[in-house]
Amino acid sequence: MTIPKNVSGLVASARVAILAAGVAAGLGATASAQGDEQPLIIARNLAVNSLDPARTSCDTCNIYMAAVYDTVVRLGQDNKTVEPGLAERWEVNGDSTVFTFHLNAKAVFADGSPVEAKDVKWSWERLTNLQGGMSWLFEQVKSIETPDSHTVVVTLSQPDSEFLGKVIAPYSGVVNSKVASQHGAKTSKEEAATDTAEPWFLANSAGSGPYVLAAYAPDSELRLKRNDHYWNKQADIGEVVIRQVKDSVAQAQSLMSGAVDIATEVSPDTAKTISAPDVTVQTVPSYQFLYLALSPGAKGNPPLSVPVRQAIGYAIDYKKLIDFTIGGAGQLVPVAIPNGFPGADGLPAPEYNVKKAKELLASAGLKDGFTMEAVFPNENYYGVDMSTLMQFVQQELAKVSIQLQLKPVTFPVWLQTVKGEGTPLTASFYGPDYFGTDQYVRTFAMMPGTRWYTRSGAERVQGMANPKEKELLDKALASPVDQRDKLYHEIAQLMIKDRVIIPLVGPNTVLAYNNKVEGMRYSVVALLPLQELRFKK
Amino acid sequence: MSASAPLIARRPRTKWFWSVLPGYFGFTIISFWIVAALTARFWIPYSPFDTVGSRLTPPSFDHLFGTDALGRDVFSRTMAGALYSIPIAFVVVTIGAFIGCVLGAFAGFVGGWRSAVVMRLVDITLSFPPMLLAMAVAASFGPGLTTAAAAMIIVWWPLYARLMQAQVLSVIRMEHVEAAIASGVRPGRLLLRHILPLCWTPILVNATMDFGQVVLLAASLSFIGLGAAPPAPEWGAMVSDGAVNYYFWWIAAAPGVAILSVVLALNFIGDRVRDILDPRKHQS
Repeated sequence: MTIPKNVSGLVASARVAILAAGVAAGLGATASAQGDEQPLIIARNLAVNSLDPARTSCDTCNIYMAAVYDTVVRLGQDNKTVEPGLAERWEVNGDSTVFTFHLNAKAVFADGSPVEAKDVKWSWERLTNLQGGMSWLFEQVKSIETPDSHTVVVTLSQPDSEFLGKVIAPYSGVVNSKVASQHGAKTSKEEAATDTAEPWFLANSAGSGPYVLAAYAPDSELRLKRNDHYWNKQADIGEVVIRQVKDSVAQAQSLMSGAVDIATEVSPDTAKTISAPDVTVQTVPSYQFLYLALSPGAKGNPPLSVPVRQAIGYAIDYKKLIDFTIGGAGQLVPVAIPNGFPGADGLPAPEYNVKKAKELLASAGLKDGFTMEAVFPNENYYGVDMSTLMQFVQQELAKVSIQLQLKPVTFPVWLQTVKGEGTPLTASFYGPDYFGTDQYVRTFAMMPGTRWYTRSGAERVQGMANPKEKELLDKALASPVDQRDKLYHEIAQLMIKDRVIIPLVGPNTVLAYNNKVEGMRYSVVALLPLQELRFKK
Repeated sequence: MSASAPLIARRPRTKWFWSVLPGYFGFTIISFWIVAALTARFWIPYSPFDTVGSRLTPPSFDHLFGTDALGRDVFSRTMAGALYSIPIAFVVVTIGAFIGCVLGAFAGFVGGWRSAVVMRLVDITLSFPPMLLAMAVAASFGPGLTTAAAAMIIVWWPLYARLMQAQVLSVIRMEHVEAAIASGVRPGRLLLRHILPLCWTPILVNATMDFGQVVLLAASLSFIGLGAAPPAPEWGAMVSDGAVNYYFWWIAAAPGVAILSVVLALNFIGDRVRDILDPRKHQS
């Protein structure tokens, strides 16, 4: 029996393929650069799920949305301050239930038509009613009124002092309702099922941001052009191409060869090998983190009582994990809220204590340990190879006689697993969509309805719900900032005790770019704010 | 003329030497890996699963082939990896050949619509590219060495079925078979005693050649994450680790050379077996 050449050479040609990707990228870059103005080429694993503002949800989508669809308010360069966007000013009532935005009369869409209150209402209602991945941003909204063409009044069903953060999220970008409606976009809940605009949004955009969509080829490239009608400060670079380069090594090679100007996902280990004189590599702290998730309600009823979950938390040497997975380029994360976010300051660092872990297991009647399955996405997130990470965790847990059976799967299979029957232990990642802590509480706390309350099977296990967290969250959202942060701190402590989510590492972000590029920075919202980039004159 | 006489006399021996050398070389290499598979656990310097040193250190006296991203000894993992790659090749080829031979012999012997059913199944299976089919099966069963082996068996059996059917069809027309039928030999005995003994040679040659291909396919499946689950030191998975840490060449080099040596050796052995069993070679 013979195997085709392409098969028999698979292993041997893996590196050649990686190099070829770099060369191909180089050829493409040359071709693109033939116009009058040089485009900016960015290497990135696109992984785009949709370009429809009401359906999109991915890291590349954050970059795209922030560049193409302006938001009503935006985040300042310090990643904390709220600054005017489409709204030149806004008011919030005393209990954070009514938000009034006054739109800037100068604001226009890319087709030159004015941005009006009806567009804001249309966009936010569509985001909510289409029930896409980010629809939860506006789930507390009771009504959106438009008393005049440039005023939007949002009334919430309960106080939310972080609502401005949700408006900052790039998915809250405002869409030209007239243009989108002409191409099948619907906004009401009743018509949501008949919305046919998604294919149109793959080839067109209808925003008021500094860029417009020029072309999109799935798994190939996302091409943006400067919006020449932009109402605010125009982008410096005329064309930006985000090119599909999947892995860290290929991105670094493309950058060093000059085929691309920016590599967005270079791992810290690979970053150390970049030696080209015309390339700058910066490592900056990020708000992203990777975590372990324990699911006591997963199929097979794993013995994951509170003492066992705590034991797992104590069994992991977090500092060593940071060294082994990302060469030390990361931060310890005490709770599933990024360091520096409201409520996360002053929490105790994660403790590594094998003796304590063994005692806790003994107290749970599991002195001899146990075996459990761990399905995880076999991907690379923020430069961390998940397979390496999970093998490290496996080694650490073996020290307390917990044997992990690792099952690496593709991301869609993993998602199906955790949303379905669950897996006792898994690992995943989280990057914020805005500067605010409630998104973490709503994702990771043990309150009915949160993502990990559901995925951990908490509703099937006695005593998993923690009503105190919900009570404190409601209070926090109705409180002024100083009190709010204290309440978030209390919630964080409760989440640590839950031990359903065990944060492992907050990897630093590697900014790797050609020296001719200026304006590079990490942004919570946009990840990479394209409109701030420029070529050195 | 007298000067050329010794040359003429030496030529057959030289030719013979070069014709058998690859076979012996292959046999030596495979013997080494079989011994490694059976005994590595007793003499490798470190556990292939545990962190035993600093991560990503290049080859040194302490770690002959360096360490990987988790600080595991690449030499120990490569030697221990033989226990995964060699047995899986043996299992896949043996079971694949067994299933294929049984069905092929059945199809060739009974003929008619039953033969057509089996052979159309063979055609359908062979219409898929082998790697694609193996990937699809392994992906639907879930990753793991067992499922990878099952996937490869599904890919492999049809070729043996086709080969065996052709062999049975050619032998069944031979005079000794017709004589056996005329003398009233029962069908089962006819197949087992008068037909199959003349069908094994090409099957054996093919099976020997296929061992190397199975090692390669198993490594390919592991490379793309559909074979051995971590932390198993399967060679394909180790090459995949090396691709993630591209600039640390030693992580992929050792398992890569291991795959190369096994596949090459098995091909040499396959060639030699074919030469030995080829009657035309002996006639010449």
